[in-house]
Amino acid sequence: MASFNARITMPAEAKAGEIVEIRVLVRHPMDRGGQVDSEGRVVPRKILNRLTVTYAGEPVFRYDMHTGVSANPFVSFTTRAVETGDLLFEWREDGGATFTRTARLVVT
Amino acid sequence: MSSPISPTCARPEPALSRREIMVVGAAGLALAGLPASTQAATPPALAELIARVTEGAVPERARITFDIPQLVENGNSVDVAIQVESPMTEADHVRWIHVIAEKNPFPDVARFHLGPRSGRADIRATLRLATSQKVVAIASLSSGSYVMADADIVVTLSACIDGG
Amino acid sequence: MSLAGRALAIALLALAGAAAAQEVKPGSAFLSPQMQRQQEDEARNPGWLWVEQGEELFSRREGAAPSCVSCHADPRQSLRGAAARYPQVDAASGKLMNLEGRIEQCRADRQKQPAFGYESQDLLGLTAYVASLSKGEPLAVSADGATKPFYEAGKAFYERRQGQLNLACTQCHDGLVGQKLRGDTISYGIGTGYPAYRLEWNGLGSLHRRLRACSLGVRATQFDYGSDEYLALELYLAVRAKGLALEAPGLRR
Ligand code: HEC
Ligand code: HEC
Repeated sequence: MASFNARITMPAEAKAGEIVEIRVLVRHPMDRGGQVDSEGRVVPRKILNRLTVTYAGEPVFRYDMHTGVSANPFVSFTTRAVETGDLLFEWREDGGATFTRTARLVVT
Repeated sequence: MSSPISPTCARPEPALSRREIMVVGAAGLALAGLPASTQAATPPALAELIARVTEGAVPERARITFDIPQLVENGNSVDVAIQVESPMTEADHVRWIHVIAEKNPFPDVARFHLGPRSGRADIRATLRLATSQKVVAIASLSSGSYVMADADIVVTLSACIDGG
Repeated sequence: MSLAGRALAIALLALAGAAAAQEVKPGSAFLSPQMQRQQEDEARNPGWLWVEQGEELFSRREGAAPSCVSCHADPRQSLRGAAARYPQVDAASGKLMNLEGRIEQCRADRQKQPAFGYESQDLLGLTAYVASLSKGEPLAVSADGATKPFYEAGKAFYERRQGQLNLACTQCHDGLVGQKLRGDTISYGIGTGYPAYRLEWNGLGSLHRRLRACSLGVRATQFDYGSDEYLALELYLAVRAKGLALEAPGLRR
């Protein structure tokens, strides 16, 4: 796989109780399996199958992905700002590899 | 270096035909086969797919908006936006939203798990849709009931003229 | 097709050829409003994932070789506008060189590292990054002096009928602008959005990849990435688009 990278876009700061939108774009081919590559080999299925997001340790969002999710998928969701803390993003890939990123939300 | 381009275009359409250019020149490409809206009835196979995720319950068609282009630019990446009217409190919230594309090879496309911490039930995502079909969004509510919305979409023939 | 139909189509195509010299608009002007918004949204346009990769590569050190940034300090300033001046004739070799070629030249001659290879993810990333530093800059490529013969060759290519469908670039990209073709809206066929993220590709691709798709579309010879033919064509397209703002990484259907 090419390099994994993720672009996470959200406000750095929010007022307590405010609802913030979090937008996540990630680089992944999301190979659904079964296509034939340029050398005639059948490409096995390899997708990111789950994104889990925790905020200050508490789960706030989970995205279960199947083969019907686009390559380089985008997703956005919301969470209520409760306390200053890290949002931890964890992707799980077919085969068990995981990728993580964190982003800090300062609550005023 | 061998071709670094992955074979993601599976549609066997190597080139345009003379006729297609003629048609463009003459009249612009007519959108062949836009199906009449079939909003009312849910095909039996789809009903079964829905029943599987709702454990048999029949979802109400209410309180959920499902935004998806009727005419899809390219099935490789289709923008969807789903909102459910809900106070998103401990007592009353959306637990998850599930998307079914009945004619995809694997119809269960995605599921978004939400909760009171979400503040709103409001998600966007990019999906892959194999062909023109009905797409359904179902939300599971904390009360134990379900709501749904569906949309008929047309995936235009894409000029997959990618020779690498 | 009936004889009458064929005559009509040919007449239209002939008309198309004559309708040139309108004001050229960027490729994004032919996208849906939603895709236009997405192209401009760095949180949404997947092309920025490649820009980010390129930015990382730009400061990466490999062994004893100097990193790109060690020679090109403060690239936001020092390379701003650079992409808008390509393709150009390389003074030393007299060859026409596009942005990819210049980067590969720095890679091979100045970093003494093996070339990335045209259309490799690394070169796409670096090209997208360098091009993004000129986003909004007006294209400023000259057709005079040393570039003149290349420009003439590119223009001739653009106007020459080719392939089994016997169509010239100009017949679609001047004559049929705004018409629908298999769900695409035909644009002026310029390269200001490249490298671009194309949904059809599920990834980022160079202008030459797009040109190969057009060549195949009319069942004509597909030239190699970085070939003299496509370089000359790229120059012609750039001169045609003179003054238009660079919009890479573009987002395309
Ligand atoms: C049969 C009509 C046709 C012919 C002939 C044709 N193209 Fe295209 N071209 C298209 C279509 C359709 C697209 C996709 C929509 C668009 O951007 O114009 C396209 C896209 C492009 C683009 C990308 C524009 C953008 O902003 O994404 C370029 C550049 C281009 N063509 C150049 C050429 C060149 C150079 C030739 C001649 C070698 C050529 N085309 C021949 C139909 C054609
Ligand atoms: C050892 C120093 C050195 C290194 C390392 C180097 N370059 Fe260069 N680069 C140059 C010089 C010198 C020029 C030519 C300047 C000129 O002729 O105007 C140049 C020109 C360029 C240009 C064209 C600028 C313009 O205004 O036309 C680009 C783009 C560029 N380099 C990108 C890169 C990238 C990307 C890398 C890393 C892969 C890199 N360079 C590594 C020295 C270097």
